[in-house]
Amino acid sequence: MTTHPPLARRVRRHVPRWTSGGARGLALAYFSLLVLIPSVALVTHAFAHGAGAWWDALSQRESVSALRLTIACAAGAALINTVAGTATAWVLVRDRFAGQSILNALIDLPFALPTVVAGVTFYTLYGPQSPLHVNITGTWIGITVAIAFVTLPFNVRAVQPVLEARSFHAEAAAATLGASTGHVFRTITLPALAPAILTGTGLAFARALGEYGSVVFISNNLPYRTQVASSYVYSLATSGQVDAAAAVSTGLLMLALVVLASVNIVSRRVARSQ
Amino acid sequence: MKRRTWVVRTAVLGYVGALIALPLFFVLQRMFAHGFATLVSALENHEMDTALWLTIRVALVAVPLNVAFGVGVSLWIVRHPSVTSRVLDTLIDVPLAVSPIVIGLSLELAYAQDGWLGRPFAAWGLHLMFNYWSIVMASIYVSIPLVSRQVIPLLREVGTHQEQTAQTLGAGRVRIFFTVTMRSLTWATAYGVTLTLARVIGEYGAVLIVSGNIAFVTETLTLNISNNFENFTPYQGFVGAGLLAFSSIFVLLVLGLARHRERLRHEYRS
Amino acid sequence: MSIVLSNITKRFGGDLVLDDVSDEIPSGSLTALLGPSGSGKSTLLRIIAGLESHEGGRVLLHGRDVTEVPARHRQIGFCFQDYAPFNQMTVFDNVAYGLKVRRVPSAQRRREVDELLGLVHLGDFAERYPRHLSGGQRQRMALARALAIKPDVLLLDEPFAALDAQVGAELRVWVKSLQHELGITTILVTHNQSEAMEVADRLVILNQGRIEQVGAPEQVYDKPASDFVHGFLGPLTTWQGTPYRPHDLQLCDEGRGLAARVLDVIRLGFEVRVVVQRGDETTWVQLTHHEARQFDPTIGSVVSLCPR
Repeated sequence: MTTHPPLARRVRRHVPRWTSGGARGLALAYFSLLVLIPSVALVTHAFAHGAGAWWDALSQRESVSALRLTIACAAGAALINTVAGTATAWVLVRDRFAGQSILNALIDLPFALPTVVAGVTFYTLYGPQSPLHVNITGTWIGITVAIAFVTLPFNVRAVQPVLEARSFHAEAAAATLGASTGHVFRTITLPALAPAILTGTGLAFARALGEYGSVVFISNNLPYRTQVASSYVYSLATSGQVDAAAAVSTGLLMLALVVLASVNIVSRRVARSQ
Repeated sequence: MKRRTWVVRTAVLGYVGALIALPLFFVLQRMFAHGFATLVSALENHEMDTALWLTIRVALVAVPLNVAFGVGVSLWIVRHPSVTSRVLDTLIDVPLAVSPIVIGLSLELAYAQDGWLGRPFAAWGLHLMFNYWSIVMASIYVSIPLVSRQVIPLLREVGTHQEQTAQTLGAGRVRIFFTVTMRSLTWATAYGVTLTLARVIGEYGAVLIVSGNIAFVTETLTLNISNNFENFTPYQGFVGAGLLAFSSIFVLLVLGLARHRERLRHEYRS
Repeated sequence: MSIVLSNITKRFGGDLVLDDVSDEIPSGSLTALLGPSGSGKSTLLRIIAGLESHEGGRVLLHGRDVTEVPARHRQIGFCFQDYAPFNQMTVFDNVAYGLKVRRVPSAQRRREVDELLGLVHLGDFAERYPRHLSGGQRQRMALARALAIKPDVLLLDEPFAALDAQVGAELRVWVKSLQHELGITTILVTHNQSEAMEVADRLVILNQGRIEQVGAPEQVYDKPASDFVHGFLGPLTTWQGTPYRPHDLQLCDEGRGLAARVLDVIRLGFEVRVVVQRGDETTWVQLTHHEARQFDPTIGSVVSLCPR
């Protein structure tokens, strides 16, 4: 049988290309102009006077106090919502009652509602004019409540699909072996949900670090006392100290990315160990 | 029914009710608190209406651009993986982790008169900061991942067999895209579009920085709300907030519908 | 519409998926590409369809070289294992898709689709959606959709794999008779040897990207060209060092054959299997009920084995 010369790349032509080279270039240009280049500009300004100046900006007293407050409140809200979010997901998937679909829809409200609307509402609802006669403005409690509002959907929506897909056969098997409901939940269900729960908490925390609109009103924005990190960056930016603002921004951003990356790694490792 | 079930259910309903439902009701209540006539005149407030119109004009440009980008980039990442597309896949989600204030700052640093791109653009007569275009850019930046995050997992799941079958039946790329590919992506795209729209009309922190907050010119509805509060006209602010709250409820309904239709698609899968 | 495959070679990464595969498929035949997983059969099918690229070789349809021709223009009907229904369209629109592409006017389209749906017994399901159909019905819809464009060649990728035994069996009979009636050159990919032998006029047996043997089912079964083919096509046992098919051995009268002890007697619907042991060698023999009744083997008894 005579051999034919190899066709190499020519034959690949008729497997269709869904995106043309031009379209891809356009997409890259779009993303670069709008996201990449501004990000590079940010980093450049952050380190414009060297790493020393960058660190100085971050370690200013006001900066440290803002960062400490933000991290603490974000962590606090994230922890509360880890429990609340898992419980909510549980109730949405494993329970059955009237109005469940309303509950399901409500969970998305913090995604849909503009942050400034939440911010002014919280200020009025829990502040000096509060109809409930509470006043948590200017306190870390108020900030934590606002952050909890904004981040609850992350925790719920991370766990919900995993619960929905779960067959609960392992739980049933454990029950036949005599384990109590609580024991089954602790030793079988929770470990299986752990990766999703971790992911939700990580996303919530990273989001909370940068939150502005919903938090700035209720915090009263007192420097050194109740000023969150994003607000501190804003004050630096509007007072002309753009390099310092960029420095603190990159610090905040790095923290968020580190948290996200670690949560990613840990949850994958936990998932693999099962 | 088991007591434990009842306890958890009540606790969750109480928590979500207090944290999420209560503020929503409060906004709406405040909006109607001074009677219908006051509400109508507040709705006719010229500054707020200008702000509303600006917000709509921004959305009319930012949302379609991001949807086209989102769908296109998803097709690229899923159907033609390459090093570039994989890098893009990781980078696209970054806006979700960045504070809106930082986003606004980055855009300002790049596009202000003395910025990297701002300087050459100004030389060509293009001014992209503290105006309509800066608000559009900020809106695009904050919502860029929202469509692809919905479409990419779905594209992976749906697979290529339907598209390849359409090929053997004689259809060309464009026809396949619109009659087969997009048909299976409808609800995921709808979900992403709705999230994008909500994000764009609700953006505050980034717009605060890049717009300059000039009344009647670069004041979006969100800026208008906070301006009203800072200028001690909270009722006007609540009217604007109420408008956005209503649009959020509408968004929730659409999201719920999209999720329901997606579930229907899955039921077939047995 | 004959198909000629000439030195088809395909690489994936560093692996050679298809190695210099050549064959000539006669017009109007039903050929089965048979082989284990990873043998390259599905890849070969996709290459014939134009859905997959390849590094070397040519594909000719009725003498015309279609190697550079995209799938769109090859006039080929293809059915995937998962049937790939267009879920967002009704059954009618699914079948009509290819006709719409060819701008067939709507009245004629309706006539042709109705005829096809009648042919595949889905006439009542025209306005339903694929998710309301059973597996067998979706398979028939996929076939009707492929046939709508009056293809020169029909390619089926593991068409019966996802169906339960009963439905699959009925569908096999039906597809075979349909193919004979329409006379379309058909290639079917399967890993199931009994399915291939039941349905096809011609078998092409693939292993690790190479053709092991080509021929009619009985031919290949009785005269396997290699150990691989011998073992792949049917159950194989060794008895006294020689490979046999279990039905090539029978029980015979004492003294004539070799003695062995019965370990187990299994009744399977139409056949009876007798598992025997001699020394440290174990094998099994396939008998009809009649033969089993004749010798009445019981566990622990001694029987004699002879070749048939």
